[in-house]
This record gives sequence, C-alpha cells and structure tokens, in this order.
Amino acid sequence: MSRSDPIFVVHPSSGVPIYRQLIDQVEALVAGGQLQPGDTVPSVRQVAAALGINMMTVSKAWSRLEADGLLQRDRGRGMVVAVSRETRSLADRKGQVRALVDQAVVRGLQLGLSPAQILAVVKSSLEEKSS
Amino acid sequence: MIDHALPGDAIAVTGLVKRFGSRTVLDSIDLRVPSGQVIGLLGLNGSGKSTLIKCLLGLLRTDAGSTLVLGTNAWELADREKSRIGYVPQEATLYPWLTIRQTVAYVSSFYPRWDRAWGEELLARWDLPPGQKTGVLSVGQKQKLALVLALGHRPDLLILDEPVASLDPVARRWFLEAVLETTADGAGTVLFSTHITSDLERVASHVAILREGHVVFHDEIDLLKDRVKRLRLEASADLPADLAVPGLLRAEVEGTRALLTVDGVTPALLADLRQRLHTNVFVDDLNLEEIFLELHSGTAAHPHTAR
Repeated sequence: MSRSDPIFVVHPSSGVPIYRQLIDQVEALVAGGQLQPGDTVPSVRQVAAALGINMMTVSKAWSRLEADGLLQRDRGRGMVVAVSRETRSLADRKGQVRALVDQAVVRGLQLGLSPAQILAVVKSSLEEKSS
Repeated sequence: MIDHALPGDAIAVTGLVKRFGSRTVLDSIDLRVPSGQVIGLLGLNGSGKSTLIKCLLGLLRTDAGSTLVLGTNAWELADREKSRIGYVPQEATLYPWLTIRQTVAYVSSFYPRWDRAWGEELLARWDLPPGQKTGVLSVGQKQKLALVLALGHRPDLLILDEPVASLDPVARRWFLEAVLETTADGAGTVLFSTHITSDLERVASHVAILREGHVVFHDEIDLLKDRVKRLRLEASADLPADLAVPGLLRAEVEGTRALLTVDGVTPALLADLRQRLHTNVFVDDLNLEEIFLELHSGTAAHPHTAR
C-alpha cells in the first residue's frame, strides 16, 4: 500500500450486501481521484481483518472489480487500480450521487422536514465530511 | 439436487429426515458445506436447528437420508474425526468442582492437537481467571469457557449452537473475531445457529434458513440481499387489491399505494409494474433480519390486503 491507505467503512446490517458496499467505495475513490491508476489496494486479508468481516466477501468484491476492469492483478504487488481506465464523466458521477440524494430527500419529506431543513442537514454533513 | 459429497465438503447432508415419534422435525434436508465456509443456521425456536446440529454430531440418529461429516457417516464418527470437531452446545456442561485451569487440562487431554498457547491466549482475552471454580461462573463466563474448550484444539469443523445468546456485545465481538481467525487460513469450517442476524451478516458468507423442518433458503447472504427487495408503489389511481407479481412474498395494498416484498426483483419486473399499473416504483434494500421476518410473515401464498 502506498501513501495514505484508503479507508473502508461497512455496515453489515444494511440491506446493501457488504461486497457491494466495498465495490461502491472503491469506485467512488477511483472516480474521485483518491485512488490513482497504479495505486495498490489493501489485500483481502487486510481488509477482512480491519473490518472484522469474512474474507470471502472482500475477495468477491475485488474479483468483481477486476472483472469490471477497474482493478487488475499485479504480480508481487496484489491488486492495483487499472491504468487504461478513462475517468468517468462528471454527469456519470453526479448521477450516482443523485440516486442516493433522492432516497434521503424522500425520507426527509416523509418525516415532515421542510426543504430548508433538509438542505441544512445536507450542509452540515458536507461541512463535517469535507473539513 | 445433491447426489454426492465432494471431497472438499466438511458437511454433506442429503434427504435427512428426523422424527420424534409421529412428529417430523426435519424433513428431507439437503445441506452441503464446503471446507473453509462460514455458514449460519437461522430459524425460529422449534424450527429444528438444534436437532439438525445433533444429527451432524452423531448425537441423534437420523431416520432417513445420508449425513456425512468430514467424509464420515455422522452416526459412526470415530475418535479420530471427533478430535477434529469443536462443539459448543446451547448450555455448557461443566464440572462445578473443577477450576478453569483443571477443566482445560482435563478436556485438552482428549485432543492430540490441543494448542496450549492458543488456549491460554483465549482465557486471557476473555478474562477467565484460571484459578476460579467453574461452579461460581456466570452464564456468560461459562459460555466463554465452553468456547475456549471448543476452539483450543484448532478444529477443522466448528459447530456452535446459539453460541452468543448469553454474551454481552463486547464478548460477542471477540467471539466473532475468534471465529474469523479459525477460518483465516481458508481451511476451518464453521456452522453456527443463531437468531442474532447482525452477527451472521458480519462473519458468515452463507446462510441456511430453517422453517418448520425445511431448508427454505440456502445460499450466499449477499445473494439473498440482492434477490429480495421491498417495492413501494405509488400510483395515480387505485391499485388492484390482487397484484399478480412473480416471487411475491407479501403484499399490502392501500388505495393508490402498495408495499410488496418480492423474491427475484429484476429491472424487467420493475419496468413491467410501472407500465402495467401506471405507478411509481421505489426499491428498498432489506437486511437479513427484515428478509427473515418477511419469509416468516406466514402469508406467502395468500398476500393479505390492508383495509
């Protein structure tokens, strides 16, 4: 692993399977440029031990990412971010976030929050996470 | 479906039937667990979990079918195979007059492969004072000691019957770590029954759901979560009370809105619903506990309608 290691967070009791949570996070790190082509991702064993989850689950996520061409196996270095990958368009990245925001907005409205209150929640989350 | 046990199978059960008198407790169970897998056995009380575990250990004789454990008929397991199995029963049986140290020494003498350093480490990790008599231990401490006794010989197959029911959250996390360590080299197989779905989601790759003596689902947990979803329908006009949807587990229809739990959600199915019923469809992910409850809502064949 190089520089600052990417940090993954999983919620085992979410309805989203753990391997999908990992795939989403690697994709987001690559799309956002935190993981650059040629960067090593942590090994299956490292991720499983750090998160206290089954190795098969991590292995499955890494294999899917390899099959999708986002990661490739590099002899002696493990999994690295593939070089030949063109970065995703801004529209594509926005689309991904939009889908998640839609869910949050619907829940906010169901809970009786006003648009301004929902915006305030998003703002405070942004301030915390981007600082 | 399963014809033969493969050489790499820790457990291979085919057509297992177990009756108590006239009552059939397990009905044609098929269950294949390859070596190195962590599988959770999930079911309500009385669904047959403990009975299945006892059949696997050769503690109960089956009425039909084949039950192979580590390649041997479970009823004929010899010392050599038994020394490769670790078992934690629901309630640990200990000799109250022995200290923890004496208990470990006694039990370990039965296992040629007992790993002393590992046993000591587990005792220390779980704050079990070696000089304490087991008779005065709390329920949780007894369960921890039973785990040490089951893990100390680094078994190839670890079978646990509700192992964490009496452990506090901290001890549970330690226990799960120990389970993961057992399988870290890819060889150790673990089967544990539980009704704490969050533990299962973390450490198990597979789940078998028992319901009234039948295995109603057996596959990867991830696959189950990918398959079973809750659909929220919001239409402009009233929806029909009787929605024909393939794989429907449960339906609640109320005017223009409906909640459907469906096994086997595909983009084609969603497109069909949108077009056929002129409705918005939102898809919600379900976690294992929610799916388990939906599978047990008891109305699978006859979706009920809310007024």
